[in-house]
Amino acid sequence: MADLKITPIETDVLIIGGGIAGCMAAIKAAEEKSLRVTLVDKSNTMASGCAASGIDHIWSYIPPIHERMGYTIEDMAEDHRQGIAFGFLRNDLFYLIAETMYERILDLEKFGLNFRYKDSNVPGKFRIVSQFHSVPTSFNFDGKPLKLKLTHEAKRRGVNIINRVQMTDLITTNGQVSGAVGVGTRTGDIYFFRTKAVVLSSGRSNRLSRNPSGVDFNTRLPSPMSGDGTSMAIHAGLPIINIEFLSSRLLSACGNYCPNYGDPRNTVQPAARIVDGKGDVIVPRSEFYDWDQLGKEKFDPVETRRRWLEDRKTWRGGRATMPKRVAQGEGPFYLDFSEGTDDEIDYIAWSIKNEGKGTQFMRYFEGEEGLHLRKNSQEYAGWANRELAGTAAKGLWVDKDMETEIKNLYAAGDEVGGVPWAASPGAFTMGWHAGEMAAQRAKGQKEFLPVSDEKTKLRKEICSEILNRKRGFYWKEVEIYLQNLMDFYCGDVRGEGLLRRGLERLEYARNAPLKAENPHELSRSLEVKSIIDNAELVLRSSIERRESRPAFDYRRSDYPEQDDKNWLVFLAVRKEEDGGYRFTKIPIE
Amino acid sequence: MGFRHINFKEDACSGCNICVDVCMCDALAPNPVKGKPPIEMYPEECWFCGCCMTFCPQLEKGAIQIVTPFPMRGGFHKEKD
Repeated sequence: MADLKITPIETDVLIIGGGIAGCMAAIKAAEEKSLRVTLVDKSNTMASGCAASGIDHIWSYIPPIHERMGYTIEDMAEDHRQGIAFGFLRNDLFYLIAETMYERILDLEKFGLNFRYKDSNVPGKFRIVSQFHSVPTSFNFDGKPLKLKLTHEAKRRGVNIINRVQMTDLITTNGQVSGAVGVGTRTGDIYFFRTKAVVLSSGRSNRLSRNPSGVDFNTRLPSPMSGDGTSMAIHAGLPIINIEFLSSRLLSACGNYCPNYGDPRNTVQPAARIVDGKGDVIVPRSEFYDWDQLGKEKFDPVETRRRWLEDRKTWRGGRATMPKRVAQGEGPFYLDFSEGTDDEIDYIAWSIKNEGKGTQFMRYFEGEEGLHLRKNSQEYAGWANRELAGTAAKGLWVDKDMETEIKNLYAAGDEVGGVPWAASPGAFTMGWHAGEMAAQRAKGQKEFLPVSDEKTKLRKEICSEILNRKRGFYWKEVEIYLQNLMDFYCGDVRGEGLLRRGLERLEYARNAPLKAENPHELSRSLEVKSIIDNAELVLRSSIERRESRPAFDYRRSDYPEQDDKNWLVFLAVRKEEDGGYRFTKIPIE
Repeated sequence: MGFRHINFKEDACSGCNICVDVCMCDALAPNPVKGKPPIEMYPEECWFCGCCMTFCPQLEKGAIQIVTPFPMRGGFHKEKD
């Protein structure tokens, strides 16, 4: 095996992860013309992250609409806190998202994305639908080419995009970030960055559970997201919150396809409903908002919220009975569009094709099977793999300006914890803000700090060892072991005994000698190491949170009650320099 | 599992390798013979985003098609006509 090359790169701002948040950070930071901005992505920014193949909706406070309604940002925050976050909401970050997302929409229009439609009767000619709040707050739009447009804009502004490099280590000097290390996924070469400021935006932690479809990478969220950012952060001694909220087994639309296009009251609104095998309705369809009434009705936010929460309780409650009924041998359940008009079905199909795996699902559904959304209901009770979903809002603890405890190290998007379903709006707005802050810091710092090459050398050793190992285990064997472990010892109901045994068996995985025959397998091996780090945090935090919290699918056999007195707090976990773990409870303001 | 699920049509594919460039899972590799369709190196590592098809300049000629793996299929109800 050839000697792995070390490539040194000097940049003023380094952005780790080129999803929505990373691209937005890069675009904003590059407004500062005197700075060199480098964006590193494990895949290719044209098609990476949760928006790789598009997104079709973004929630936002929309002044031209909501002001006419009499709906305020405070109303929206209260909706979010009660209906979406179940109390676990960071107000400061919520306001950052809600207050600035509309400005970002106007930026996205300038980058070439279409948000306005001739047939719309909404002010601004937008398409606005209901999703997360008591009034419609989500833009529907042609978001399929989003990542392509963001990549073009970043390049136009002079951002240096480095694709196919997996970042593995953060380097600090006297408590300030000064560099980072990465590994080329196609070359195995080591990248040694020296920098003045970093934005960490590598997305969620995925692949923590076996995929019941048997097609391992057919996860709901993109399979390359292996929690590399969380892994780097924990090794840098930073606190991670909410990681114990790994979901129970989700019900996925459409058998085992996991297309991630939501359910009734979500992207497939309004015409979809869930029915059981006898045709009884579990979740009824909803209706489009009547925009002709905008501004004419007297708006009562408290009463509107009360009705909305009541409705959410009913349909969430209905949906929640499904796993139990399946376990008792009842079912099947279907996603049924038969009540939709032609216009509604066309609208839904357009929306689905703009988001996630929707286009590919429709190629399968319509193309390969010759089916039709309205005529052919889709089974709605396939099992999906468990995940750190939007509700969990797991991630780094940052200050209101996205800075971590390490000076000049910022985080954005799904890398940041504390706002359930921050999702794409979180990525757009936090990314933008983090990019701006990082650029300011880099501009204010004349010289680079001295950077130790210790971690670079160590990373090269680790990679060489994996590539040169004659006898060892293929990454996938260890990943399957780990996923089995999580599903058994850290399952839908958890208890301390099993969790502690899970930690013991995790140590065995950590010590597994990994071997790789080429750089691609090396990269997967490094991902498995990240997944092990993430899994360990889930196990440890699950031992620590001694209560049950059904809204987050979090259940302890030994602590079956919800305990708001002691546990209505963010639980932060961090690794100490001596290798031990420390927990802190962060009050929710 | 050893299944493959990407069909390349050799006479329609120009061998431009844009699908290799954009694949988030790096599941494809360029063909060593220039101008020939890429090789599906890691079929078990596909997320099914379909970007390889979306970006393909020869898609209408059928240069590339994902055939959905069998375990993912059949999750629908077929009405009687």
